[in-house]
Amino acid sequence: MSTPNTAITEAQPIAQGATILEAQELSKSFEVRGEDRFARKHLVTVLDDISLAVRKGESFGLVGESGCGKSTLARCLLRLLEPSGGRVLFEGEDLAALSREQLRAMRRRMQFVFQDPFASLDPRMTAGQLVEEPLLVHEIGDREERRRTVLEMLADVGLTEEQAERRPHAFSGGQRQRIGIARAFVLRPDVVILDEPISALDVSVQAQVLNLLRRLQTQLGLTYVFISHDLAVAEYFCDRVAVLYLGQVMELADREVLFSKPLHPYSVSLLSAVPVPQAGGRGRRAQRAQPIGEISSIVDRPKGCPFEPRCPVGRGRDLCKGERPPLVQHAERHWAACHFPGEMGVGRGATSQQPSEVQR
Amino acid sequence: MSEHALSVRNLSTVFEDGERTVHAVRDVSFDMRPTERLGVVGESGSGKSALALSILGLIEPPGKVTGGSISLGGREISKLSDRQLGAVRGKDIALVLQDPMSALDPVKTIGSQVIEAIAAHEPELRRSAARKRAAELLGEVDIPQADRRLDDYPHQYSGGMRQRVAIAMAIAHNPSVLIADEPTTALDVTTQSQVLALLDRLVEQHGTAVILITHNLGVVSDFCDSIAVMYAGRFVETSGVDHIFLSPTHPYSEALLKCVPNPERLTDGPLPAITGFPPDLSRLPSGCSFSPRCPVGREVAKCHEQAPQPLRVEGAAGPATVECHFAKERAGEVQGVSEVRP
Repeated sequence: MSTPNTAITEAQPIAQGATILEAQELSKSFEVRGEDRFARKHLVTVLDDISLAVRKGESFGLVGESGCGKSTLARCLLRLLEPSGGRVLFEGEDLAALSREQLRAMRRRMQFVFQDPFASLDPRMTAGQLVEEPLLVHEIGDREERRRTVLEMLADVGLTEEQAERRPHAFSGGQRQRIGIARAFVLRPDVVILDEPISALDVSVQAQVLNLLRRLQTQLGLTYVFISHDLAVAEYFCDRVAVLYLGQVMELADREVLFSKPLHPYSVSLLSAVPVPQAGGRGRRAQRAQPIGEISSIVDRPKGCPFEPRCPVGRGRDLCKGERPPLVQHAERHWAACHFPGEMGVGRGATSQQPSEVQR
Repeated sequence: MSEHALSVRNLSTVFEDGERTVHAVRDVSFDMRPTERLGVVGESGSGKSALALSILGLIEPPGKVTGGSISLGGREISKLSDRQLGAVRGKDIALVLQDPMSALDPVKTIGSQVIEAIAAHEPELRRSAARKRAAELLGEVDIPQADRRLDDYPHQYSGGMRQRVAIAMAIAHNPSVLIADEPTTALDVTTQSQVLALLDRLVEQHGTAVILITHNLGVVSDFCDSIAVMYAGRFVETSGVDHIFLSPTHPYSEALLKCVPNPERLTDGPLPAITGFPPDLSRLPSGCSFSPRCPVGREVAKCHEQAPQPLRVEGAAGPATVECHFAKERAGEVQGVSEVRP
């Protein structure tokens, strides 16, 4: 158990269907200057030994709280960031082994939609120009073809020819996100990474954008990697979900399984913390388990399980403090990295467990 | 003295910008008991934040409160001078914002800012006593090792801790009313539930009445005991909290609730989104302001001609006040979109 790497490799969550995108023992560290008076440099590990495989045609969810590494992971998957260790395979090909030219061609097939539609759109360009830009970059079509493609794409996301002439400030948040989506989808990619695509939008608009993403996925046969801190949205949208904490995969399972039978205490805490818009919320909240304290710093991460200091089940247990639990398969298509999986009450409405009782 | 912690009557606020007049709050009235937790929900631009600022007398030009009265614990505060209001604000009524960094000065230590908040209404307090009180306050909002962390700067605190400091400053004088404008929107779910637990304690220990402004109906269900659905500057439906989830009567309330992703209806096809956009508050449609988007009233002449008056109806979970011409019929017919779960 002291070499979690091998354990993870043995039990690697290889998909049943065709794998399109795969991370193998991926890690990423950044060098930062400390806050001490000498501003010493040290390494901060943001992703720690992540292995997962995304299947063709699915919506794969990456969920976790801020600082869990989900956005860094997404950027490494597209090689927008260089991983510090491990490999990313796209259709079995190692991205790091590609030449600049090959990588450019590959990029066309992998696109990104960002959270903040305003920050990601050049305010001086019209909607039409913004959607045309990726076609220009990849030298696709002549002027007339591009114009036709752009207008078709805009129509696909619900924007009119007249709106193509307007600049980002003339659009609402939801419409801007539609432009962001059109820009990513106009190249007809195979994989799209959606980084919190609806978090900045109003609820009524969130529904419209989710519907649009669903429709385009069916129409174009796309694979999505959907990053979200909102578990309700992930549950609604994703086929499989990986729960991340401090740069590690805590649990990975099919949607129905993860949300009905979570094994990891962190998943349980996270799930039960989601407020449900139904009657009787105060009663439900009074009953649920509270994770203890704050998310640990990635600078001095715990030696054992990263969740141990906050875990209602494992806090203070020697095994949890001393050894990092490997990600192992506990049921069909269900992986969890926990020494005591399933000890915490199950799923929604889980009752609180007194940490003191557990410690004894 | 009135039994209400807060009583708002016919409050109206406009923003004037050249030839446009934006009606952000339109003739809003409501009462709050001590310990009441009122959730105000609506889309962006519905006037939620303008309402909060109007109650606190913080509307700045080109905005102005054009009418209405606000009574805090029986004392009329809408006619007070800025100076008089300054003595009330932060003491009897306080505000917490979505982004705690807007309440915290990045170049001052946490301690000095909390002390400032304390000293603002207790200038005679000695510095050492104020510091002790500041540490107690931070302890109350669960900042670990509070006395040591007083000398930290805001950037050394996590987002959740900063929001708790902002709450500590807001509750320094045990206000009778706390207005929290999207206090958990920028936070992770686990941190959110810690902040809600903190607000619970505040209500239970000090009898504070809390107005929680949010777009998240789940948070309302988790924390509030009454709810006001705001649309185009008005409360279109007010009721006890469970009513909205069991028998939403205004078509807007129902639509708002239905477009929240619900995993139990995964197979029902696309989410029912609300068509169209919230109205331009400078050019409100005649009649009911929701009529252009309303699945019930879109084709009904009356809805486009006459503004609906508030109607009192009896829903599945108690009474509600609804501004809809069809409120009576709908109160009888609408099925709850959710069941009470134990």
